[in-house]
Amino acid sequence: MKRRPPVLTYGILAVWSVGVLFPLYWLVTASFKDALAVHQGPKFLPWVDFRPTPDAWRNLLLGVERETVYGPLLNSVVVGTTSSLLAMALGASAAYGLARLRVRLGPMANEDVLFWIVSQRIMPPIVTALALFLLLRTVGLLDTRTGLVLVYVAFNLPLATWLMHNFFRQVPASLEEAALVDGATRARALWHVVLPVSVPGLVATFLFCFLFAWNEFLFALILTFNRARTLPILIAAQHTQRGIEWWSLSAMSLITLLPAVLITLLLQGYLVGRVLGGAER
Amino acid sequence: MEIPARRRAAEGNVYVLPAVGLLLLLTLFPFLFTLALTFSRVSLVGGLHLSFAGLGNWYRLLTDPRFWTSLGNTVVVVAGAVSLEVMLGFGLALLVHRPLPGGAFFRVLFIVPMALTPIAVGYMWRMLFNETIGPLNALLQAIGLPPLGWVSGERLPLLSMILVDVWQWTPFVFVLCLAGLQALPEELWEAAQLDGASGGQTLRYVVLPLMVPTLLTAGFLRAVEAFKIVDVIFIITGGGPGTRTESLTLHAYYRGLHAFDLAYGATIAFALFLLVVLASLAFLRLTRRARATEVWA
Repeated sequence: MKRRPPVLTYGILAVWSVGVLFPLYWLVTASFKDALAVHQGPKFLPWVDFRPTPDAWRNLLLGVERETVYGPLLNSVVVGTTSSLLAMALGASAAYGLARLRVRLGPMANEDVLFWIVSQRIMPPIVTALALFLLLRTVGLLDTRTGLVLVYVAFNLPLATWLMHNFFRQVPASLEEAALVDGATRARALWHVVLPVSVPGLVATFLFCFLFAWNEFLFALILTFNRARTLPILIAAQHTQRGIEWWSLSAMSLITLLPAVLITLLLQGYLVGRVLGGAER
Repeated sequence: MEIPARRRAAEGNVYVLPAVGLLLLLTLFPFLFTLALTFSRVSLVGGLHLSFAGLGNWYRLLTDPRFWTSLGNTVVVVAGAVSLEVMLGFGLALLVHRPLPGGAFFRVLFIVPMALTPIAVGYMWRMLFNETIGPLNALLQAIGLPPLGWVSGERLPLLSMILVDVWQWTPFVFVLCLAGLQALPEELWEAAQLDGASGGQTLRYVVLPLMVPTLLTAGFLRAVEAFKIVDVIFIITGGGPGTRTESLTLHAYYRGLHAFDLAYGATIAFALFLLVVLASLAFLRLTRRARATEVWA
């Protein structure tokens, strides 16, 4: 603990913090700039070298741009929520079967099936995306939320199964076994015993899936164009159309980032829960 | 109470089948379809028609300089970004894993970038990299350095992409290292100190060997993701200038859906898949050897 001079430690931590924060600071200030403040070269300090204006935000939330943003925002919310709920449910079900019961699919036993499901996460999305473009086109699901939801469920299933499998391994099986011995059916034991204790795991799984669906770009780029496009696609499209309207795109970017930041703050307890608990004791 | 496994019915199958079925339909089937496309000619006139093209797409791939450029770019980004992320993530975790006033603040702050939407992060960096009205060159000039061609230079654009990846994904390594360090027994540090080891020696001979599995896992998971890089490149440079920052995924996307040559796009994508699988296998072999030597050292 006293091995390093803390001055050096804090120096390094401060440098990295500035590195993390400065880009975000630039994004936030850019959303309060007008054309003048952007085109006259870099302006760093509001009220000092440029006059901040809420015009970009007003246009986006109340004015002419509301219609542009509203559709993609709704798509992002609907697709993210639906696909994450489904991935969570299917992943939890698979994880339960793999963690507690005997699974046998052809030559594959429990560990093989788990490995096969989780290893799908390694697949680069572009490998399936081009084929999915043709498949969804054939069944008429191109540029629909339904199509994107289905693809995102498959995309998030490996993660959901893995997270829930880890979770079930930590929950003692004795509770549900007691219920089964008492004559409950497996379904009743699942509903009344397993589900209530699984809520923290399910919530964390849902949030992780939502984050990945919310942030996803390539599938949305290839499988949606207009009606079903999500916020990242809106940002990419706007930026090719309008070049340097930094203020408006910065505000759109911040609207996109906000849920991601909130979810991280919710999940950081899960991410470093043990670490924080251990370090601050 | 425990029934021998072979006499129990596969009671779990019914729980697993929905997930497996969906993955078969939306991952395995498209994957095989892509493989078929690499040996096909595609026509979309009046519905989808495939005709056999032999090894034509693969021959074209191997003689396509743009494929080799994007392959090289992807490998450079993976190697550069992942090695930096592992070193920086581990270093930062070492600094904050023990009680430190304000430590909780840094731990939360350092995690934030990895959760952010890559397209928005890419847009943010596009503004920062802007060579005339962006802040990075202004800051360089303020301290008397020449401005840089962040997105227009010869080699720098690819390094700029690495910088963005490091900014966003060092947190991932940081989190894994934090958890790994926390799992080490508390007595370790005191025991090493009692034996007269300096901070540097403790790190080199006690902590580092124990952390090797965590560092390898973190590096492996990052590499698998970094091979897929596309979002930030798409929005910052679009692969340019020329094709100097084009990744394999971006190249496959342009060929497949801009030039609308789906069979050739699929071939590029499949080459990426083979690359990722080969890299994974190589890595697993390497890890096994590293773990074995660690036991014997």
